[in-house]
Amino acid sequence: MMRFEGKTAIVTGGSRGIGRACVARLAAEGARVAFIYQSNQQAAEALIQELKCAEGQLRAFQADVRDLQRAHEIVDGLFEEWGQIDVLVNSAGIVKDGLMGAMTQDQWRDVIETNLGGTFNYCHAVTQPMMMARRGSIVNLSSTAAEFAARGQANYAASKGGINGLTRSLAKELAPRNVRVNAIAPGMIETDMSQVVRGIAGDQIKKMIPLKRIGQAEEIAAATAFLASDDASYLTGQVLRVDGGLSLGGY
Amino acid sequence: MPTKEEVFEKIQAALVDALGVDEEDVTPEATLVGDLGAESIDFLDIVFRLEKAFNIKIPRGELFPEDILTDAKYVQDGKVTEEGLSELRKRMPFANLDDFAKNPVVQDFGNLLTVADMCRFVESKVEVTD
Ligand SMILES: NC(=O)c1ccc[n+]([C@@H]2O[C@H](COP(=O)([O-])OP(=O)(O)OC[C@H]3O[C@@H](n4cnc5c(N)ncnc54)[C@H](OP(=O)(O)O)[C@@H]3O)[C@@H](O)[C@H]2O)c1
Repeated sequence: MMRFEGKTAIVTGGSRGIGRACVARLAAEGARVAFIYQSNQQAAEALIQELKCAEGQLRAFQADVRDLQRAHEIVDGLFEEWGQIDVLVNSAGIVKDGLMGAMTQDQWRDVIETNLGGTFNYCHAVTQPMMMARRGSIVNLSSTAAEFAARGQANYAASKGGINGLTRSLAKELAPRNVRVNAIAPGMIETDMSQVVRGIAGDQIKKMIPLKRIGQAEEIAAATAFLASDDASYLTGQVLRVDGGLSLGGY
Repeated sequence: MPTKEEVFEKIQAALVDALGVDEEDVTPEATLVGDLGAESIDFLDIVFRLEKAFNIKIPRGELFPEDILTDAKYVQDGKVTEEGLSELRKRMPFANLDDFAKNPVVQDFGNLLTVADMCRFVESKVEVTD
């Protein structure tokens, strides 16, 4: 499949985990891709090496997604270079779990400002180019944690619930301009982020998942690419759960 | 420096692109909402296009002060308060708000802005010759 031939994409949090798999998938299907990472230059360079893209097909930007002005600078620069921004994937995210009584304000702020604020910032930056082009697709990485509770994740769950609300509201706003906005809610996926939890409770979690295994970043990237592509041309404002059935409940 | 005629022509083009209306419909007297069918998101689109066409920066909310019209401080029972009206006048010196002030129903606000208002707005941002 080459659904992104001649198209361009920006992926935040593209150096590792799910974002990285999205970069690889979009590039493999022909997109020109720029990805944002925060500090892990090694991981960013390794990805560029590994993908062996054609000259100019893949770009990396070091930036903190919490910085709105920088988001605009990066997006405006890419728009000038590419002439269009077709896809935005917001995957940059962090966890800083803590029980409420022990959670610091910094833990709260860091998570809200990175996950929700970062998503806002990049949506904000692509709105103008996508609106004016009358096309575009935004995919935000949410989480099943937005709707299914885990202790010690008040900050993370709130940030992801916020992303779901932002996704639906923006979808309605941009629909008349043919810009689609959706979210993916992954369950438990094998990345650095989930490493600690998997280490402690991996086997127990697997038992709770109907498909009986932890998901792979590539499986999230496949769903993300679907939502980003014209295959999903009539789909907007949705939060798609990709969780091996974890959220089905029942018994 | 553009002439007034050129300002009008560029605005006409921006409105044709943003609203998908026919060029003939974009007359100076036409109201953006009533006659040309603009919705609130269209104002943002129009602002983007004007910025590009005239190479200017337009602070959000200057052309269509949605923030004032949705602020409980300035709106009571669906009408803009005296205080709100004076905010609007400050924000939009290019528009004639006298008629609207007689019965300032928020819902009617969109109906007052005309293409000519928009020309005056742009003329206040760029130098024009005659
Ligand atoms: N893994 C899961 O089980 C799971 C489940 C549900 C939802 N999600 C969501 O999926 C998304 C990706 O998660 P992941 O598992 O791929 O995480 P990850 O492996 O920890 O990777 C996080 C990525 O985000 C970047 N990043 C973090 N903070 C940033 C900031 N302030 N500015 C710019 N970039 C920043 C990191 O850059 P550096 O490499 O420079 O640090 C890295 O590329 C997140 O939104 C997460 O909440 C994950």
